[in-house]
Amino acid sequence: MSKPHRFEDVKPALQRIAVLYRVEITKALRLRQTYIGPLLLMLVVLLSPLGHPMAKDGVGDYGFIAYVTPLALNFLGYVLLLTYVGGLIATELGQGTLRAILLRPVRREEVYIAKFMLGCSYSALLTATVGITSWFVAFALGDLYGIQVGGELLFMNDEMAWVYLVGAFLALVPQWAGVSLGLLYSTLTRSAGTAVSLSIGTWIVVDLVKYPLGIAPMVFTTYLEAPWHVFASHCDGLDASWFPMASYCVLSSLAVTILSIILGLILFSRKDLGSC
Amino acid sequence: MLPIVSFSKLSKFYGSHFAVGGFSLDIEVGDTVGLLGPNGAGKSTLLHMLTGLVRPTSGQVSVFGKELRSNYVEIAQRMGALVERPTFYDHLTVRRNLKIHAQLAQRDVNLEYTLDLCNLLDYETSKAGTLSQGLRQRLGLALAMLAEPELLVLDEPTSGLDPEATQDILTLLRRLAEETSVTVLFSSHLMHEVEMLCNRVAIINKGRLVSYEETASLISYDLSQVEVLVEGAENAAKRLEKQDWVVSVSSKPGRLYVTLKEQNSHQLNSFLVHAGYAVSGIVPRCRTLQDYFLKALAQ
Repeated sequence: MSKPHRFEDVKPALQRIAVLYRVEITKALRLRQTYIGPLLLMLVVLLSPLGHPMAKDGVGDYGFIAYVTPLALNFLGYVLLLTYVGGLIATELGQGTLRAILLRPVRREEVYIAKFMLGCSYSALLTATVGITSWFVAFALGDLYGIQVGGELLFMNDEMAWVYLVGAFLALVPQWAGVSLGLLYSTLTRSAGTAVSLSIGTWIVVDLVKYPLGIAPMVFTTYLEAPWHVFASHCDGLDASWFPMASYCVLSSLAVTILSIILGLILFSRKDLGSC
Repeated sequence: MLPIVSFSKLSKFYGSHFAVGGFSLDIEVGDTVGLLGPNGAGKSTLLHMLTGLVRPTSGQVSVFGKELRSNYVEIAQRMGALVERPTFYDHLTVRRNLKIHAQLAQRDVNLEYTLDLCNLLDYETSKAGTLSQGLRQRLGLALAMLAEPELLVLDEPTSGLDPEATQDILTLLRRLAEETSVTVLFSSHLMHEVEMLCNRVAIINKGRLVSYEETASLISYDLSQVEVLVEGAENAAKRLEKQDWVVSVSSKPGRLYVTLKEQNSHQLNSFLVHAGYAVSGIVPRCRTLQDYFLKALAQ
């Protein structure tokens, strides 16, 4: 359906998006596969002390957190995210449930944005799961008293937590770019498998060519991991800067997000949704 | 009075193949319109365009006097639709499925009334995925009726159902038509369904409107084709063959099948009585919707 073009149209549109988002959350909460991702990531974090032992010896165990967070999120977490997002539209197109929703007084664009918001929420859930579990494990099995080098306290625990939090928020931005791209692919097909294959395939191809072509700083996937380097540097007692990495991260991710959403909205609003 | 639905020169092409071509039709408020046509005639495409699921290649659809595409949200608030086989969130209960749609309906919704209307109160806690096809169709109808629409669009609502479930749905639809003032546009390729439910019939073939008439006017007695219950039918047939007002005649013991040039069974009766035959009855042939449909398609 056509986009809202008058100012007074915007408020009801936002209200409808809020309702659609609530509906998406309701559906997701009652779907078993929603919980598989966080549970898998939690398992990875819980098993990681086997490869990275800790002890209550007075030495800060932030290194464990710096080790396990990118380990869980950057490959498995991102694959889980793309898998989840790939099914958001494709599965519903294949099953026909999306047609039923679109018979309601909502615009297709609003449905698309609500789905994007669900994908973003899911990425936040995955990141939060890894964050909370890794800090809990480090607290339970090791020590979190700040970073000391040569007996001198360089970073307090609060500072480390803050750096981790900023890193987590920054790492969400390229994940949301991945969500927008996954949703775009999900719009193109009625098979979730195809959408997921396209998303993961694109990720692999881009990551293979970005270094030889020298375009890595401009590719959002580079920043899935980069924000965690700052936290890792702090663990080593180095006060690494967020810039210019953070700027590149936000700009490259934002560019992909905006382009993918615009293209996705155009394709989705023009798509014929006749018989399955 | 403005028509509730107006199709104006509506066309839909899939590549070079057209599904609907130059279709124009106005539907009045309160009518129950049957959209009849053979498989592939374009009925579903037409209803998909009416519900906004498919974009027309050209032409315009107006509902409640407003152009569909630019007023979709406003129109959809007053329209309910059941498009082919209804689909649900199978992992959710019947009530939860209805609640989700109620949230999106943007109108006051009485869930209990809808569940009761569609005889689903006993199944409200069942998962949608466990329902039989007949119950799924009833749930689909419940979703369509949820916000008490002024216009109900039903695309082959009995498709794939067994006779009992079909009857169940037809009874429900008849109840809706009688108890509410809803305008219904109902597609089917089953004549008796349309005959039973609809006061007007639109016949569509190869994407084009062939005919749009009142159902009652299409179902009539044809006095030029009669069945005569008579003793000595074979002899009577031989005598009738020679009459210039008889087009054709055939017989079997006790029965004559006569086609007359004009609708004048009195002349036939007089002839047989004067010739000494004991006529016990003359039954005119009933012209059904099916006859009209086949004739319309042939033209």
